[in-house]
Amino acid sequence: MNDLTSQEAIRRMVQRWLPSYPVPAHRLHIHTDTSDFYNVDYNDVVILGQRPYLIRHNAKEGRFGLEDEVKFWVKSAVDLSNGHRKIIKLVFYERFMSHIGDIEFECFRSPKKEARILELVAGHKNFMHGHAIKDEKDNIIRILDFISGKTLAHHIGSIAMDHETYFYQQFPDIFNRFIECVEAIRFLHEHGERHGDIRRDHILIDRQTATYRWIDFDFNYRHRENIYGYDLFGLGNVLVYLAGKGDVLIPDLRGNAHPWLDIIDESDLNIVFRNRVVNLRKLYPYIPESLNRILLHFSRGSNRFYDHARQILCDLEQVRWDS
Amino acid sequence: MNPEGKLYNKNILIAIDESENSRRAVSYVGYFLGGLPGFTATILHVVPEPEEDYFPSSAEKEKWLLQHQKKIDALLDSSRQHLIEQGFAPEAVRMRSTRRYCPSMAECILSERDETAYSTLVVGRQGISQSEEFLFGSISSKIVQHARNCTVWVVE
Repeated sequence: MNDLTSQEAIRRMVQRWLPSYPVPAHRLHIHTDTSDFYNVDYNDVVILGQRPYLIRHNAKEGRFGLEDEVKFWVKSAVDLSNGHRKIIKLVFYERFMSHIGDIEFECFRSPKKEARILELVAGHKNFMHGHAIKDEKDNIIRILDFISGKTLAHHIGSIAMDHETYFYQQFPDIFNRFIECVEAIRFLHEHGERHGDIRRDHILIDRQTATYRWIDFDFNYRHRENIYGYDLFGLGNVLVYLAGKGDVLIPDLRGNAHPWLDIIDESDLNIVFRNRVVNLRKLYPYIPESLNRILLHFSRGSNRFYDHARQILCDLEQVRWDS
Repeated sequence: MNPEGKLYNKNILIAIDESENSRRAVSYVGYFLGGLPGFTATILHVVPEPEEDYFPSSAEKEKWLLQHQKKIDALLDSSRQHLIEQGFAPEAVRMRSTRRYCPSMAECILSERDETAYSTLVVGRQGISQSEEFLFGSISSKIVQHARNCTVWVVE
């Protein structure tokens, strides 16, 4: 242990950058091997590449009304060399069968993939940034810059106005920023990479720049014939959510015997999630046809699918051109 | 050469994997062509080069490949045996197993076909749902869509 990473030096750095932080009196636990991520706890210090990081807490992921789930391998930390907030992702090899509707497919986490993409997207404004480094046991740790801001899902959910007002006042800007996100995914695809877990809560709106930024790309799946199919499905779901100012769900419509039920048929529903309406123009006639045509690619009534992000991007640009 | 001037040969390439639909494709070829003179068949399996990301270490990747190759060798053997039982001469049935980087299995199979210059390509239909095809694509649909200079049999 050198001067920078001694107990005394670490306490000095904590006092410097976090003057009000209650550092425990006992000897701090210092890790150079992070293999057991459960063992890396609050107030512990992880040394990576000679830099000490103070662990503050485990990250949580809240999703679709479920209770927040603690991600014990993702730590919120402070780089004690400069006081910057970081997210540190430790190695967690997870492999499981996932389901979308009645379709089963194999998913896995890959630190290698995320490390590779971080390198690829360094400086790209529509992605999270950071770098990967190995601990003493060769675990690939990702050290990510903290992005201050809320998720796109949270943002849309918090807009309190009727759909038509939203569509004319807010959606055009949201749409333009979403196009940037699709452009960013095209960039990945053209480099042979997939995001792997495209969801509306994996886009953070950077509070400083208002830019939409993709996060969390350590997820991957065993693709079958269409290498980018699942990413494109994710983009479609996000777009439908944005255009609809939330999901239009059949159970909700049934719950209050909504008159829309009379005009919606099977072909208007999401091709996989059969309880979500994607033919939104039927409900909101002011949605332009060119936009609705894109939404319909993700409907049960469709027999034409996107293969690549550049195709959806081309259609999105057309919508912008038409408006 | 037929009256339209196209060159055909009697070499059949059957692309298989571990699925039931592949087994049906082999049976179909055996049933229709077994015992007929002049036909040769090659049973092809393309091992998709596993993604680096899928395995925590290269040792695990190699272990997986070894196990997979054993399974495939057995599958190729039993498929060949099946064709022979249906009337193909043993010397008329070949096996080919190749490892490739496969972002698209359909393109890999078509590329193998180009290299072997067989006139007829046989695949099984996966019978997947519309939503599954939307999400993950269909090998047989893509083969039908992209095949050039060959005849494709898609066996239901």
